[in-house]
Amino acid sequence: MMNTRLAIPALTVVILLASCKKETVEPDFSDDYKAGGATTIHSAGPDAYTFPLANIDGAGLARHTEADALFEQQFVTAPAIRFGGLGPLFNQNACQSCHIRNGRSQPPVSPSDQASGLLIRLSVPGSGEHGGPAPVPGFGGQFQPKAIFGGVPEGKLAWTEMQQIVQFLDGGTATLTRAEYRIEEPYQPLPQGILYSPRNAPPVFGLGLLEAVPEEDILALADENDADGDGISGKPNRVWDVAAGRTALGRFGWKAGSPTLDQQTAEAFSQDMGISSVFYFPQESCTGQSNCTGGIGDEPDIARETVETTAFYAMSLAPPAPRNLEDPQVQRGKMLFLDAGCNNCHVPTLTTGNHPLSALSYQTIHPYTDLLLHDMGEDLADNRPDFEAGGREWRTAPLWGVGLTQVVNPNARFLHDGRAATLEEAVLWHGGEAEESREHFRKLPAEERAALLAFLKAL
Amino acid sequence: MHKPSIILLLSVIVLFAACKKTEVTPDEDFSPVLTNLSENVILNTYLDLKDKASALQTATQNLEADPNTANLEIARTAWAAARSPWEQSEGFLFGPVDQEGLDPSLDSWPVNVTDLNNVLNGGNALTPEFLQAQEGTLKGFHTIEYLLWGTDSQKAVADFTAREFEYLAACSAVLASDAAQLYERWAPAGGDYIANVLNAGKTGSIYPSQKAALEEMANALSIIADEVGNGKINDPFSQQDLSLEESRFSNNSKADFANNIRSIKNIYTGKYLTFGTLTGLSAVIADRDAALDVRLKTEIDAAIAAIEAIPGTFGDAVFNNASAVSDAQTKVRTIQQTLESDILPLISKL
Repeated sequence: MMNTRLAIPALTVVILLASCKKETVEPDFSDDYKAGGATTIHSAGPDAYTFPLANIDGAGLARHTEADALFEQQFVTAPAIRFGGLGPLFNQNACQSCHIRNGRSQPPVSPSDQASGLLIRLSVPGSGEHGGPAPVPGFGGQFQPKAIFGGVPEGKLAWTEMQQIVQFLDGGTATLTRAEYRIEEPYQPLPQGILYSPRNAPPVFGLGLLEAVPEEDILALADENDADGDGISGKPNRVWDVAAGRTALGRFGWKAGSPTLDQQTAEAFSQDMGISSVFYFPQESCTGQSNCTGGIGDEPDIARETVETTAFYAMSLAPPAPRNLEDPQVQRGKMLFLDAGCNNCHVPTLTTGNHPLSALSYQTIHPYTDLLLHDMGEDLADNRPDFEAGGREWRTAPLWGVGLTQVVNPNARFLHDGRAATLEEAVLWHGGEAEESREHFRKLPAEERAALLAFLKAL
Repeated sequence: MHKPSIILLLSVIVLFAACKKTEVTPDEDFSPVLTNLSENVILNTYLDLKDKASALQTATQNLEADPNTANLEIARTAWAAARSPWEQSEGFLFGPVDQEGLDPSLDSWPVNVTDLNNVLNGGNALTPEFLQAQEGTLKGFHTIEYLLWGTDSQKAVADFTAREFEYLAACSAVLASDAAQLYERWAPAGGDYIANVLNAGKTGSIYPSQKAALEEMANALSIIADEVGNGKINDPFSQQDLSLEESRFSNNSKADFANNIRSIKNIYTGKYLTFGTLTGLSAVIADRDAALDVRLKTEIDAAIAAIEAIPGTFGDAVFNNASAVSDAQTKVRTIQQTLESDILPLISKL
């Protein structure tokens, strides 16, 4: 199942509208439609997240195609003629097993659910090497519920669901459900006081553009101590950059725990698939554990180039254009989005700088994120620090393409642990620095709430 | 491929076409196409897969009960027979097959040979329940293929262990169960996924418009054309390495490729075997660009013919008949080019 092909951008519609109605002055939405600048693709179907950058050149497209094959490749136990190196412990055996159609995934619906893209990060209090999370002795930094045949998985995932009711000011209610996860039947006793952070697989398109946003632009949005007193901080995460051998700005992951796409990809190979890599993570993720047996050679499982080619796939996937921006309800929704102050963190517009992949360079983009950490309140907290991100802090999730989430995968869920079945639930879970915005939303009459959600759906 | 001039040209054409119209014409109803494709083509392909996977299950049970050369041949033939509707379904890899983990369970590649040997050398009871819980790379078409043929296609009944027969029967039972589930998830009496296509554009369907459903179908065709031309044929051929050939144990690759292109033909022309009213995507295209319609049909037939004209096995031809492989690859890529450059843009403007 490969998903590489080019879309002919539907600029046509925009031009058409602008030229056919010369007599009246219509608001110009042409820039708003270019979510990713010249990289934007125009597809609103189930494969909307699978297109390469619209402006990619021939060589880039060839590399994207090669990378696409790696992204979908299933890996197997070593020794193998091809694609060996899986495990010994792992979560899934292919990138696309979690990143379904390159979009959001879903938490498991039953303990044996194979289609889930949820994983659990683990640590003990304090910090580990380079200031990152401190691994749990015997379990490492991530819970791996699968092992190659004959191996011993770390345990079984179990959870308890909890519900709370939110009352809208106009009388309606919404029921919010979240799961508290735990590990049952661990292969050895779990130490006391372990910190759990459930993470649902995020979408992987548009990431090259986010990597191309200059660091100084992101730092300019930061207001760590809320010096301007608007209740919104915006804090950069500072994480360990393996390739550079120093601390760097974190950009990727739910807590911005990874500085580059190459490293994020190498971490996913290592932690999610148990595949070690030359240069980045040459040791098996389970090294030192008594169940880290079988399928291990002395050599790392994959080459550095394999990591970087795979990373190129996410780097060169285009964000899809918004839809229906002229719709009066959507326009009203956008105004309400701004009124509620959602844009304080979900910053609509950023500009990219120079990037080695030239198609990404110097684009005006509309990702609706500041790439910074914010206190999101007690209900969303995982209470597990990740470098400088605290237990209540999360990186602002980009909103581009968010309206297509369940077109791409009807089972997909929102927020870091996939607790929100709808965009409305996702909004209602916001707390901490976003509490004021959430309250603004909660107090709106039903039709205005629907308008705000219609705007999110149009993105 | 993304020359700005082309985009601009397209824009101008649409602009003229649209501005000339002064009255709003009602949207064309594509129900006949969507109904025929989902009810007759897609559903019947999955029904055929379900039946033939069930026959494979029976054949491997018989082989386990009475291991002899005749029963081995029957099982191999049953595998190839079940493989045909599966490959003819790869032109529409959307919906339950994609969302419910059925594709990896049915058609993972490569086989996890190391784990498979450990299972065969171990003591677990080889039940369908045990295999259902394993990764896709320990089950599905290619694990069955590996067990039936071995690595050199020379495997004889005497080469099988008792546990291999057991594994084959259990693995085929899981395949049959997955195939039945896939059919059930689409069927109106079951999961009724088909309703999304039949009611495209109406409340409750995942498709906001009929056009969106047609786009999904057309996109899926270009995805499989791409996969055959630039993956399945290209990887072993360009690297001269048969470890990258998907159905190399059974030497079924030529049939795989041809059936993948037939899946394009089925959706395009609106027919699966004897089913269907010949109202496929072709009907939409022919109304708007009759020459393009004829061209794509000709290209599809030419590609199937070129694949089938490759002498001997695909594996042999990779080394000894490069021109025949290259010709087939070129013709598949031509289909992909037409789908992406002409068909998809036309459908996106409906």
